[in-house]
Amino acid sequence: MLPTYCPGCHAQLKVKCLKCESCQTEVSGNYELPTLALLSDNEQQFVLRFVKSSGSLKQMSSELKLSYPTVRNMLNDIISKIEGYETK
Amino acid sequence: MKRNEFLDLLINPFTRIAGWQALMSGITVFALTIYIGFNGNAYFDGIIDMHFVENAVLKYSALSGIISLITLAVVMSIACTLVTKNFRFIDILGTMTLAKAPFLILAVVSLFVKMPALEQILQNPLILFTSVSFIVMLVTSIPVIIWTIILMYNGLKVSAGIKGIQLNVVFVTTLIVAEAISKTFIFILLKP
Repeated sequence: MLPTYCPGCHAQLKVKCLKCESCQTEVSGNYELPTLALLSDNEQQFVLRFVKSSGSLKQMSSELKLSYPTVRNMLNDIISKIEGYETK
Repeated sequence: MKRNEFLDLLINPFTRIAGWQALMSGITVFALTIYIGFNGNAYFDGIIDMHFVENAVLKYSALSGIISLITLAVVMSIACTLVTKNFRFIDILGTMTLAKAPFLILAVVSLFVKMPALEQILQNPLILFTSVSFIVMLVTSIPVIIWTIILMYNGLKVSAGIKGIQLNVVFVTTLIVAEAISKTFIFILLKP
């Protein structure tokens, strides 16, 4: 799991360096983390599952063995979180 | 099943079951409650209450139960529309119907309750506390009502996806308003 928050002060981390495993080139800079990477592991799994099920919450609820409104609430929580990141 | 999972299922089954599934299960338990309660001369004619009568009538018992349940779901849905658009009526109706399941316990207990005659109660209300079965009923009803309220609260929380103070205000207001409206409807529609 990619760390997204500073373990010392809990501020949001940024990407300083990326490395090519093939030719060892390093690209340095100060890049923002993608919004989806800021979500927790479970939330990212949820988003992946949502996309794979073509956005069908009904299908997701039967796969996860959860009720439809529970799955919809999970999605709403993720939407609120993403909106929160975007307004920062 | 782990102990915590079992407890979760007892107080909030709605994370796993809602909508039509909850409605069908709820109706089955509700019908049993009404029928057994009728045999024990008990009416479930309110949002979270029951009453004993001398001679219960099945039609009144069933209709008053249905009116109170539908009133609760409709009032709750109207209250929810004021704070969110993101819910389905079937989830509210289903979860509220299933939330009444603990009343089945009271219906069964009512079969064994021998209430003193109304005249005796009017002459001396304290006579109720000399009846062992009435005291058992009273003691049983408190946890059952608390359980039902917890289920209704969690049902609303899951169905409407609201939290915090909004949830508390909608829940408390709904219970009070729905109780008043259902009593009025029952009085108007089912008066002898």
